[in-house]
Amino acid sequence: MAFLDNSGDIILDAVLTDVGRKKMADGTFRITKFALGDDEIDYSLYNKNHPSGSAYADLEILQIPVFEAFTQTNAGINYGLLSLTANEVLYLPVLNINEKTSISNTVKKPSTPTTGLFYLADTSTDTTTNLLLSTALAASDKFLTSNGASGPGLLLETGLDTSNVAGDAANKSTYLTANNLIDNSFYVYYDNRFITSVLGPAAGAKFDNTSLGLSGTPTLEYTLTTAPPITTDLQLSNYSSARVNGATDGVVKNPAYATTDTSVSNIAGPRGTFTVLNFTVKTNLSTEYTLYGSVSQDVFGDGKLYSYIDTTVYVQGTRTGAQRQVPLRIIKYISG
Amino acid sequence: MAVINYEPLDSNSDVTTTKTLLYEAIPLTGSIVSGTYNDENIKNFTHGMFQAVYDYPYLSSSANHIFDLTVGFSANSTISGSVSATQETKKINMYNQFAQVLLGYTGSENTVREFENDLTLDNVNTIKNALFINFSRLITKDQIKKGSFTITLGSGSWAAPFTDPVVLTDASASETGGTNNTVGGDYGVLYTSGNVARGVLFYQAGIAVLSTASFDSVASFYSGSGFSYDIAQSLASASISGSCDALRHRIRDISFNNTTEINSTIYFCRVPHNKYNYSANPTYLNSSEIRVKSIASDTPISYITTIGLYSPNNELMAIAKLSEPLKKDPSNEITLRVRLDY
Repeated sequence: MAFLDNSGDIILDAVLTDVGRKKMADGTFRITKFALGDDEIDYSLYNKNHPSGSAYADLEILQIPVFEAFTQTNAGINYGLLSLTANEVLYLPVLNINEKTSISNTVKKPSTPTTGLFYLADTSTDTTTNLLLSTALAASDKFLTSNGASGPGLLLETGLDTSNVAGDAANKSTYLTANNLIDNSFYVYYDNRFITSVLGPAAGAKFDNTSLGLSGTPTLEYTLTTAPPITTDLQLSNYSSARVNGATDGVVKNPAYATTDTSVSNIAGPRGTFTVLNFTVKTNLSTEYTLYGSVSQDVFGDGKLYSYIDTTVYVQGTRTGAQRQVPLRIIKYISG
Repeated sequence: MAVINYEPLDSNSDVTTTKTLLYEAIPLTGSIVSGTYNDENIKNFTHGMFQAVYDYPYLSSSANHIFDLTVGFSANSTISGSVSATQETKKINMYNQFAQVLLGYTGSENTVREFENDLTLDNVNTIKNALFINFSRLITKDQIKKGSFTITLGSGSWAAPFTDPVVLTDASASETGGTNNTVGGDYGVLYTSGNVARGVLFYQAGIAVLSTASFDSVASFYSGSGFSYDIAQSLASASISGSCDALRHRIRDISFNNTTEINSTIYFCRVPHNKYNYSANPTYLNSSEIRVKSIASDTPISYITTIGLYSPNNELMAIAKLSEPLKKDPSNEITLRVRLDY
């Protein structure tokens, strides 16, 4: 995809997407709204301290070349511009995965054989999880179990990940609640060739460090239930989406607590909400391992063979648009 | 990922439609149709009813179809019933096919009309013997622009046909007059420089119907080993492809403007001052702090590069890209005019 000529007047290059053409073919083409995007922009190029003055702060940004329009929807608008009612907002929430060891019943990435992947056990047979637990990964918090409603789950938190603003209740109210920056639910996008559904927290989920007094010890309570699928602008081929609940993240900073808030939360400042995720692997996932993954590999070096598929799950706050990609390895015991 | 903030488009005030006519100049040189490629760009068919001309040897995937040639005459022509007739039925069929599609039927007998060298269709001044040039849709697009057509034919000897060129144009035709409307669309008359009518041109169909009268004075319209035909003999005795070869031999150039009708829907995407001033772009934040601000009261800024147009179900129907980022902050309102062409 070429760049647009930016040497002269500003021009607009408009194309129908593949979905738009399909809708035109079946007679249901209708446009009722628009949204704006800035995917090409690297805001780190914004130089607030430009030696020539503030008028030059965005000089490099304005010179960024823009691609021609893509006809595939998956490269359309990945992030989008936001409309916030408040103008005096200096901080926006991010979405982080919490792998703190002090929290039980949450999944953490193993350090071997890979360091960047979360594992999801394909429970076609019980043997799979038993082996992962007893030998390969050797701990129940190192992998998700397909359709496991009681955990461990993947814990995600939103909030201001900055040490400039203390994570206390007052700042949460000032910086998040007052600016309407609370994500009460999350979109989860998953590859429907491998995953059939997403599990999210049922009502009553709880995550805080206040329930056990001044110890500051975290409490995480949840049960997972299948989240309803939704139809939205999926954009990614073969991806489906579901909306999972968010619940108030009750971790706060309190100097009197024996356990610091940052040792139980992966957000440095005020916390907004949290959610917990798990996934249901497609039944009879077999051919897919051959087509999209690796088959019968000695993944853990223990002589036992596993098949696996690496995929990515995307999680996005429904209010703030904060996103997180979750690299996931779906793994199934084969023999040995 | 899903876009979080959409802005509605009002179908009354934010959407409009326009129609634009685009013209392209199409110059066709005679050398392409009569020799550059040793006739490898000329396709004849076993049925022998017409000849196709390409701009490159037609076996190549690079070849584009330019036009077809064929000849024909009316059943009422003096040529009809000729003793030495070749493909007579096919030639009459060809004439009738063009006539019935372009002119239709008339009279109590519902007989097919004959082409005429004027705009009146009164069965006077008819063209009973015709040479047909069907331009491909690829180059005529929606229609030939009225008043833009010129064809230069050679009416000299077989050896030197262009010593006596005949230039036919439809210069008297325009969008506002000089044409007649039939079942085959608008047509105009092709005149010589001496204002003598020598054929008609159907603009929407992209078909030129040339009267053989342009070659009446040519003793050797079609010549080969052991034969030399005038135009009447060629139409009667030569095969259709043979007469087409002769016509190609006498085409020096053709030029016209094609017309593409572009229907557009324009969406006025109005971005209010208080919207789209922040971004969900991951680079927008550094440790949750907005990079384009130093203090909270600083003006939020975003840079627009993309406009997505969505269905009621949030499906991305069209994408528009700006050629350079456009700064957006609460001090300005922007109207982006996105045009979709059909």
